[in-house]
Amino acid sequence: MFKVSAMIEEDKLEILTESAKYDVSCSSSGSRRANRPGGIGNGSGSGICHSFTPDGRCISLLKILMSNECIYDCEYCPNRRSADVRRARLTPDEICELVISFYKRNYIEGLFLSSAVFESPDKTMELLTQTVLKLRKVYNFNGYIHLKGIPHADGATVMKAARLVDRMSYNVELPSEKSLKLLAPQKTKQSLLLPMKSLYNAIEYDKQNKVRRGRVLPAGQTTQMIIGASPEKDGQILKLTEALYRNMSLKRVYYSSYSPVVKSDKLPSVGAGLLREHRLYQADWLIRFYGFDVDEICGEDENLPQEYDPKCAWALRNMHLFPVEINTAPLETLLRVPGIGAKSAYKITEARRFCALDFDNLAKMRIVLKRAKHFITCKGKFYGSDSFAQVKTSLLLAGSSEVSEQLTMFSDTPTALSALTGEV
Amino acid sequence: MKIFITDGSPAAFFTAVFDAFKEKECAITSDDKLQLSFDSEVIRVNADEEKCARVRKGISAYDRYAEEEILLALRSCDPMKERTAFEYIRKLMLFKSPIKKRLSLPEVIEFNDLVYKVTGEIHRLKGFLRFMESKSGALYAPYSPDNDITELLMPHFAERLKAEKFVIHDVKRKIAGMYDGREWIMGYAGEAEIYLSEYERAFENLWKKYYKSVNIEERPHIKQMKGYMPVRYWKYMPEKKDD
Repeated sequence: MFKVSAMIEEDKLEILTESAKYDVSCSSSGSRRANRPGGIGNGSGSGICHSFTPDGRCISLLKILMSNECIYDCEYCPNRRSADVRRARLTPDEICELVISFYKRNYIEGLFLSSAVFESPDKTMELLTQTVLKLRKVYNFNGYIHLKGIPHADGATVMKAARLVDRMSYNVELPSEKSLKLLAPQKTKQSLLLPMKSLYNAIEYDKQNKVRRGRVLPAGQTTQMIIGASPEKDGQILKLTEALYRNMSLKRVYYSSYSPVVKSDKLPSVGAGLLREHRLYQADWLIRFYGFDVDEICGEDENLPQEYDPKCAWALRNMHLFPVEINTAPLETLLRVPGIGAKSAYKITEARRFCALDFDNLAKMRIVLKRAKHFITCKGKFYGSDSFAQVKTSLLLAGSSEVSEQLTMFSDTPTALSALTGEV
Repeated sequence: MKIFITDGSPAAFFTAVFDAFKEKECAITSDDKLQLSFDSEVIRVNADEEKCARVRKGISAYDRYAEEEILLALRSCDPMKERTAFEYIRKLMLFKSPIKKRLSLPEVIEFNDLVYKVTGEIHRLKGFLRFMESKSGALYAPYSPDNDITELLMPHFAERLKAEKFVIHDVKRKIAGMYDGREWIMGYAGEAEIYLSEYERAFENLWKKYYKSVNIEERPHIKQMKGYMPVRYWKYMPEKKDD
């Protein structure tokens, strides 16, 4: 039985959790790491949520910083060097014991370890790597680990860490090099993109050589950027996103909408609003799962429309492509119908192999037709409205419940802290 | 109308399917509190090995995945589960090929929903189950799921907590899965008395502290929290049981 030797203090846990909580990612999916003899933990593939907090977010991983003592002074960051906040640091053993104790009580699915940069990037990365090495080899922990990469750290240490964990992320922080220079001058585009690229190469190498045991980052890489702290438009942000998916094979790009917590001349005094973040995520899904190109959804120097979701907006601009017949349209076309999601499109293609579907069938299959009815025919029959104005109103109405829902979900009060990534 | 009443076991259900198959107007149930109409004829069914085997074989002949799904459906807490499963089997026999994807059939939609509810709860409880550590080091997790899923949770936890000893206790159904560090078994379990390890409260408190600290207080969305994590599960979760 594992003996508890270094129980950490509640205060330390509080400081290092509060510094980590604005990191958006908490996913534990993508890795099927097997347990080892005498070991504890495994990966679950689809990911498991272990709890939900009153803000509606899930807790899957123990999301914590090793330290919030930082040598950098990024303009937007609550933990920047010049900020007057409580500081704390954990030892590798303290972290390991906490993970094991939480994991065996089934509180968590694994660890999301990150850190501010203390002493030097090399030193920080070295200690993070030591921690995950210890977790794997000494504590025989085979559950999920997501490790944050430290920019400017030694590449060999990063590689060593990548062989031990399931996922790594370097946050690009801001959507352009210019903004990065202004707001996070100690981080450079190269210090973020180069390690991302070498991790991508290592992952590809393993894939091509069919490495089965001890693969680098089985759950891949992700990244995160702040929206609205700098002047980039949605189109530019989505272009960058698309490039990251295509060139780095990232699993996810996370957005966090800026709101002014830190006072600075270089930062806007108003927040970006959470609707913008929401629309960006919708567009991100269209790119990843619905076969859209960025150019179809948003011009390079435009923002996404606020009143409609990006798919509705696209459909309204392309009314000449509709209506489509539900019983014959190919999957790619069904995916472009407003209101029909990936699941519904799949259900339709499966069910129609057996018999032609009518409007009633769709309703019984619980396919939401509020929006879709204006864009489809069932056995040649059209149930929507012929008037373009009416279609527009109806889409607005169908979308408004979703928008107000989103707004309460992220009710943005003036005191609201930002969803900034506090740390590297 | 003939009502076939079983003891709730899969074997009795498959036997009842055999007996009921030729009947036009009939129902299968294991619900004792069933309201009967005046013209219903009650038939008690006892498991019959041969009939059961024939039905299972017949089902698997047309869809080799159907039997497993029917067994999942029978773990549901829905009092209509036998009827839903029976209608599904009837349709399967009618089409003589897998019907799972014939989503225009109401019988299929209903059956898929039933299975989905059971597998959904299994997935949820892989996350929401909470162990506490006893003095001896063994882990103990009491809970009371909607559906009878303990047996299906055991392999998951036996794999990840390979070197631990643990008990998962369905308090409502008075059954428990027990793992001794090598293999697991199911058994009867009434009341359990547990002596907690000296660290247990401290870790519970650390966990509560974590739960509180990771929440973004300025963005409450209680409705969503409750949607993903229904209140009925909170009773056994240290971070929620006092709410």
